[in-house]
Amino acid sequence: MITVTDITSAYGRKQILRGVSFTAQRGECIGIVGANGCGKSTLLSVLAGTLKPSAGQVLYYGRKAWSDEETGRMRGDREVIRKMTGYVPQENPLIPELSVYDNLRLWYPDKRTLQQEMEQGFLHLLGIGEFHKKKVSKLSGGMKKRVSIGIAMAGMPPVLLMDEPSAALDLLCKEDIRRYLQVYLERKGTVVITTHEESELALCDKLYVMKDGRLRQVDSGLRGEALTDKL
Amino acid sequence: MKQRICYLYMEIRKTCKIIPRVILQAVLLMAVIGLLVVGGIGSMKRDPLAVSVDIAVAAGEDNIMTRMALGYVENMESVSHLCHFLQVTEEEGFRMLKKGQVAALILLPEQLVEGIMNGTNPQVTVYFPKNAGLETMLFGELTKAGEGLLRVAQAQIYGAGDTAVEYGLTESISQMEGEIDSYNLAFALDRLALFEAEQVSVFGALSIVHFYMASGIVFFLLLAGMALYPVVQREPAAFSLQMERQGAGIVWQCFCQWFCGLVCMGLLAAIAWAAFSTAVRCMPDSVARQLFPGQSGGAAIGLRIGTAALILITVTTFLYMLYSLAGSRTGGVLCIFLLSVVMVYLSGGLVPSLFLPEPVQAAGERLPTAYLIQAAGAFVTGREEMLGGQCLLRLCIYTAVSGAVACFMRCKVR
Repeated sequence: MITVTDITSAYGRKQILRGVSFTAQRGECIGIVGANGCGKSTLLSVLAGTLKPSAGQVLYYGRKAWSDEETGRMRGDREVIRKMTGYVPQENPLIPELSVYDNLRLWYPDKRTLQQEMEQGFLHLLGIGEFHKKKVSKLSGGMKKRVSIGIAMAGMPPVLLMDEPSAALDLLCKEDIRRYLQVYLERKGTVVITTHEESELALCDKLYVMKDGRLRQVDSGLRGEALTDKL
Repeated sequence: MKQRICYLYMEIRKTCKIIPRVILQAVLLMAVIGLLVVGGIGSMKRDPLAVSVDIAVAAGEDNIMTRMALGYVENMESVSHLCHFLQVTEEEGFRMLKKGQVAALILLPEQLVEGIMNGTNPQVTVYFPKNAGLETMLFGELTKAGEGLLRVAQAQIYGAGDTAVEYGLTESISQMEGEIDSYNLAFALDRLALFEAEQVSVFGALSIVHFYMASGIVFFLLLAGMALYPVVQREPAAFSLQMERQGAGIVWQCFCQWFCGLVCMGLLAAIAWAAFSTAVRCMPDSVARQLFPGQSGGAAIGLRIGTAALILITVTTFLYMLYSLAGSRTGGVLCIFLLSVVMVYLSGGLVPSLFLPEPVQAAGERLPTAYLIQAAGAFVTGREEMLGGQCLLRLCIYTAVSGAVACFMRCKVR
């Protein structure tokens, strides 16, 4: 369960997030849409702990990830964030010179766990076992994205944060990613996803539009022009 | 902690995969530098500097005393290495002087030796050409020195003579003069007895071979850094942030990359040194002894290992900083190449700094390459005194500053 309350964030003098609040329950998928540069990635960075917000509070399953309540100064608990969230950034966090297996080893320090995951766990579901010996630099965009999701899933976090996971991927890959998300949600995981893809929007239980750093909930069934008009 | 160790392990794995390519590039570089060095040595290979000053001497008369005096001067230790006296006639002497065949013409008057003996001191005239060259200047200096010696010797003789007359010891004058002459001959004219031999070199305490070995090591290490980019390149920002999320912060990431770069540089240096040592073993013993003068034993080996580590750490950190500042492969390689050449030149690694203009010398002395060359000198010779405390301190400071700048740049860019 995620509780985000009045999060604000700024780059220098420019205010990016202005009092963003929302909640997400277990097994729920939260979709965030918005024009380029509206602050979607910034919000996900805050949730993932890679960017410190100026004010507000983020709770994961009741545990404080970011909070300025006690001291008036923003404090983050990296341990909570690390254990509770898996983050799939837009850019793939991979070392191109290494093989897929070596890249995964970084995030799955336990060799046996990694092996199990590849044989029958989530990594198996992502199809990573088929190309785990390949060098990352030789992979297609879709394969790289699968590995990125696999990395985010290390330790099976209850919250998955995905920043436009389907951008620049072919239809087949998009469909694959949608299926993985569905499985994750069925296993009672919580997903926060920023996307423009209708197939992914179809998975969302709640849909938010971000505009000028503010988040506004809209009907999750909105599509096409009706949704574009809200951006 | 586990995540940090894991990241270091992965960086090392990455380096292991890249290293054959890095070594190949460095070997090519070594080959190019080697060819340049061999070419340079070939063009420099000539007899040691031999200055021979030809002096024409025209004697007013050809008597045995004049010939003896001339022969004596010609065989003097300080003159014999430099001057070659040609006995000519006066006309012939002037003709040779005009043509530049001789550096000076000495006209000896008649009764020269007798005049010196009886105190009339007939004048010796020395002609120098208008546009005097190095040889003429050299002979001029010798003449002045000789003149000074004669003046002192005569003053001693006349002084002793006058004193003897005053005290009524006229019968002892000839004995005293003889003794003064023998003292002069024994001490004043024998330069080695009077002066301490001191070798002054533009290369400081190093020999020319060791100096260029030291600057060559520094130059090679800096240029080898051009192949280091794949090891120390920035990881994608997303990766860096993810690692930070996992607890391996940017400073640790920088350290791991730097460490891999250091290992790589160490390996390159070891290969280069092994190749060089093998080549030296194939050379004649005299050459090998000149290159490695034989400082051995635990202290020298310890000093060499310590100095090598210090040089490698400083160079790697400096290269890491340059790559961090440049931000790209092309920028980094260009930056390293240009800076290496300029810095080694300013530090006197190519042309001894004594030959450079004073402001350049002053600037060069403050560059890290100057201290690196000094440390490399200690490594080559195995002599502790080559590596002063100041050099050690400066290298540590340069390393710390370079590391801090590199970390700052990586944080900023991310």
